Amino acid sequence: MKHRFIVIDDSELDCFIAEKMIKHTIENEQVIAFTEAARALEYITQQGAVTDQPKAILLLDVLMPVVSGFDFVEAFEQLPPDVQRSYLLVALTSTMNKNDLSRISGYKSVKHLLDKPITAEALLALLGEIDATAGEPLAGSL
Amino acid sequence: MPGKIKILYIDDEPNNLTGFKASFRIDYQVFTALDTTEAEIILEKHPDIHVIFCDQRMPVKTGVEFFGEMRSRFPLPVRILLTAYTDIESVIDAINHGHIFRYVKKPWNDADIMSAIEEANKFYISNSLLTVKNEELKIAYNELDKFAYSVSHDIRGPLSGILGAINVAANLNSVTEMKEMLALMEKSVKKLDVFILSMHDYYTLQRGELQLTEIDMNYLVAGMQDMYKVYANAHQISFTAEVNQQEPFRCDAFILKLILNNLLSNAFKYQRKELDNKRVALRIEVSRGTATFWVADNGIGIPRHHTEEIFTLFFRATSQEAGSGFGLYNVKDALIKLNGDIKVDSVLGEGTTFTITIPNK
Repeated sequence: MKHRFIVIDDSELDCFIAEKMIKHTIENEQVIAFTEAARALEYITQQGAVTDQPKAILLLDVLMPVVSGFDFVEAFEQLPPDVQRSYLLVALTSTMNKNDLSRISGYKSVKHLLDKPITAEALLALLGEIDATAGEPLAGSL
Repeated sequence: MPGKIKILYIDDEPNNLTGFKASFRIDYQVFTALDTTEAEIILEKHPDIHVIFCDQRMPVKTGVEFFGEMRSRFPLPVRILLTAYTDIESVIDAINHGHIFRYVKKPWNDADIMSAIEEANKFYISNSLLTVKNEELKIAYNELDKFAYSVSHDIRGPLSGILGAINVAANLNSVTEMKEMLALMEKSVKKLDVFILSMHDYYTLQRGELQLTEIDMNYLVAGMQDMYKVYANAHQISFTAEVNQQEPFRCDAFILKLILNNLLSNAFKYQRKELDNKRVALRIEVSRGTATFWVADNGIGIPRHHTEEIFTLFFRATSQEAGSGFGLYNVKDALIKLNGDIKVDSVLGEGTTFTITIPNK
């Protein structure tokens, strides 16, 4: 089951790394990267709800200028529920203090955390986690 | 300290009040009150009263009681008790509880009063300084916290990016991909370098003392043109400079260059890429004791609601280009050191002009 990936990170280099990591570790070609969260939001809104494919995994950098990861999640949670259900939010953490860490994991739609720089092992572990919890009933969420 | 020290004297005997005022009104600004209610009204109106003399034996409450009660409402004025009686117990008690600074025996001699005032005033001043320093420390701590957090992110960010790139390198198949990645890594490293240099500027500004020399604006501008020539040509940005220096100008050359460099590098960086006639213009005018600098561009501009915030440390108004987050903060800091001023005029999507004024030293 191939997940689509969306990467949102203000660092071009980090987007590049995420893309390459995903493509080579899981041999997955479906990666779209955005360096501006605002553009990503536009894209997601345009795409609407996606029901015929497994959820797209969204790797979201938290500390970004102008529109931060926090701003993005807050805007994301305003989208219609069926659009939200098409995505799985993973927050990319790096040198974050406790306050920011607990703040980002406090959001309902942020399901997982992944540390930067992304390594092959961490990516595989994340996918294992995601696929394991995928079988659980959605009762009570969103 | 400009002006005369303000002192307040409270006594239920009017003759004492008159006598006191007569003796001391030349050297000090004397306020008098017949009772504690009147005294509190005066203290409300004049919060900068430094010393309060109060008689101990008064009808409604004693001086010690008054001082004990008003202390929390008016913590700053230094409290001195005047007492003829050997009410020593309560006086000692009051001194020990910090309610009063000292006591002076009645009838007083002028020298005793004046030395008490001078001592009390010194105490007042050092306490005020302490309060000021405490406030400054609080601000400094806050800044340090913000700083430590941002610095670790802004330094670790590029570094962990490069680490990630090294991890990925093992998986890359083509030289083209490798070259693509190396170019991105180079950007990271440069960003880190700029950040560290800006941080260095930040510290230099904090610690350094002004070194004033005569500034030749034409020479300064020639240096700037030299510095940006290559970049300007490579990105098709026209760079014009105009100097009108009518009198000698003394300033700190390092700080001046820091200001201009930060503004110019921003002007060059935040351009509208697709524009045909990109330009950056520098104009300098020195006349009537002031130097005015205009740095103008026709680039991306700054959103109106951000024009104040851009001077905040680590604030970024755009994700278009990597800024260190220090630049404009350093500029503002530098201008404070030079007693100068800065104004921003910007229209989003059209361009920005910064106007700096610096008085001649």
